Amino acid sequence: MAVIKTLDLEKIYNSTHVPVKALNKVNLEIEKGEFTAIVGPSGSGKTTLLNIVGGLDKPTAGKVFIDDEEINTMKDNKLINFRLRNIGFVFQSYNLIPVLTAKENVSFIMLLQKKSKKEMDRRAEELLREVGMADKFDVRPNKLSGGQQQRVAVARALASRPKFILADEPTANLDTASAFNLLDIMARLNREEHITLIFSTHDQRVIERARRVITLVDGAISKDEQFNQ
Amino acid sequence: MKTFITLAWRNIWRNKRRSFISIASVLFAVLFAISADSLEQGSYELMIDNMVKFSTGYIQVQDVMYDEEPGIDNLLYYDEALQEVLNRFEGSISYIVPRIQSFALAATDTKTRGTLVTGIDPEQENQFNRLSENVIRGAYLTDKDTAVLLAEGLAGILSLDVGDTLVVIGQGFQGATAAGMYPVKGIVKLSVPELNNNTVYMPLATAQWFYAAPDRLSALIIMPENPKHTRRITARLNEALDSEWYSALSWEYLLQDLLKMMQMDRAGSQVIIYILYIVIGFGLFGTILTMMLERIREFAMLISIGMKRYQLAVVCLLESFFMSFIGVIIGMMVTFPFVYYFNKNPIPLKGEMAELLIDYGFEPVMPTSIAPSIFITQAIVVFIIALLIGLYPAYKAFKLNVINHTK
Repeated sequence: MAVIKTLDLEKIYNSTHVPVKALNKVNLEIEKGEFTAIVGPSGSGKTTLLNIVGGLDKPTAGKVFIDDEEINTMKDNKLINFRLRNIGFVFQSYNLIPVLTAKENVSFIMLLQKKSKKEMDRRAEELLREVGMADKFDVRPNKLSGGQQQRVAVARALASRPKFILADEPTANLDTASAFNLLDIMARLNREEHITLIFSTHDQRVIERARRVITLVDGAISKDEQFNQ
Repeated sequence: MKTFITLAWRNIWRNKRRSFISIASVLFAVLFAISADSLEQGSYELMIDNMVKFSTGYIQVQDVMYDEEPGIDNLLYYDEALQEVLNRFEGSISYIVPRIQSFALAATDTKTRGTLVTGIDPEQENQFNRLSENVIRGAYLTDKDTAVLLAEGLAGILSLDVGDTLVVIGQGFQGATAAGMYPVKGIVKLSVPELNNNTVYMPLATAQWFYAAPDRLSALIIMPENPKHTRRITARLNEALDSEWYSALSWEYLLQDLLKMMQMDRAGSQVIIYILYIVIGFGLFGTILTMMLERIREFAMLISIGMKRYQLAVVCLLESFFMSFIGVIIGMMVTFPFVYYFNKNPIPLKGEMAELLIDYGFEPVMPTSIAPSIFITQAIVVFIIALLIGLYPAYKAFKLNVINHTK
């Protein structure tokens, strides 16, 4: 069964004079445990697709199903709740909460889910260990490197035990070593724990790790390739 | 909630300079608002204090008709029954000042003048308003005297001095003729020009004889042990007195015209305080707006990952609450010593303003008031303004377009 399914997805941005079609009849199915890279030139619609699949934006036409549940008709509060329980986000700029420590950042999602303190502590520490941040529990983001911040962001995205993780160009701000390190971690999570990962990226290093690469051109899927790694 | 409080508290200190500016804005708002209000209230309190202590007293017992028609025919009867009622208030009442007063013509061999003839108990009156200290020539009255004390202005108008004789003619109680000749025992200088030009003081018994009104009074001034209990004592007196004949009136009623004037005056100065609120409010809004713009992406991220908009709004409001609270508390702590100092050491006034106040019998000083209500009211107002401004980020959290700010 597909975790994510889109039907004739369209998104038109109404600029003042000329409407811009960011997505054009996108039909897509992503199965559980896939490691998918969405690639394409700038303006091809990668981020728009991720935003719509992640419930951050509404399509102009078409439907989005997560585990057979249509999300594009959900009201704002229900959608926020849905995101909280089903989707993990990793942003290009890490976007950690600056005043919270690494552990508190990871726990924060679980706090929103009203998990017990004991469970939050246990899982946050476990996830930070998994991403190689065992010695940085009590460090705030401004004392961490870009790569370390992004690893905390991955741990945060995993904290809610989401159905899938959406990562919008997560390696764009990282140096090579940090990017490889992050990709190793995410590939391992995908392989060993069957975490479904969907990346939008330009980064060849990410594309080489992905087992499925979907190429978008002018808002439409031009290529959908599967790789066995 | 604990995490939201922690988050809000830490957010305040992530940009210390910005937070200090916000807190300082609130602090100065509290400082200025309390100082302005305290100065104004202090002046009013002094004015009322002067009026109450030297003119009306805190409570007056009058004939029930006297308030409507304050004339010689509406004098109260000060009998044993009334004294018995007042005796029941022993402990609540400090002392009583009896007065009888009406208008009469004062004349010499060549001049005539309309005057206010006031019968006083010299000892009680002196306890009330230290009248003897204002005697500039001659001597103060005793209760056995059949002489008068003339106000300085009136003595000048009538060309009289100590030892001269004054003729007084008027209407007595219930149509009786009031007439008498009295030696001038002393000249007294009164601060209020109007009173200084037309007042004649007589001992109470002499005045009652003059008006043909034995045991009758215009008013019994009652000074309570604790002025804060004035309203309660007035109410209890009205319950105890025979309402067919007597009524007890508090200084708030007796000085209602003055209080109304103060209210009108206060309305004008309130405008200045409102302008102050607006200026401070805009200052605070500027820092809040900067904070909002700095953190808009963080807000978008928080909503993206599953924080509900109302939860984000709560964090924003908590931040405003903390900053406002700190500002208000420090503001009050900083302001109190200043206000307290000027309460104990009033600002002396000089020039025309001082002369004007002296003419009206008031001290030419401007004290501050340390009434807790001023601190509480102003602190609450500033706190509410700061919180209302803090609603803006909360509102933005509700309206934020997430996708524009998450990249």
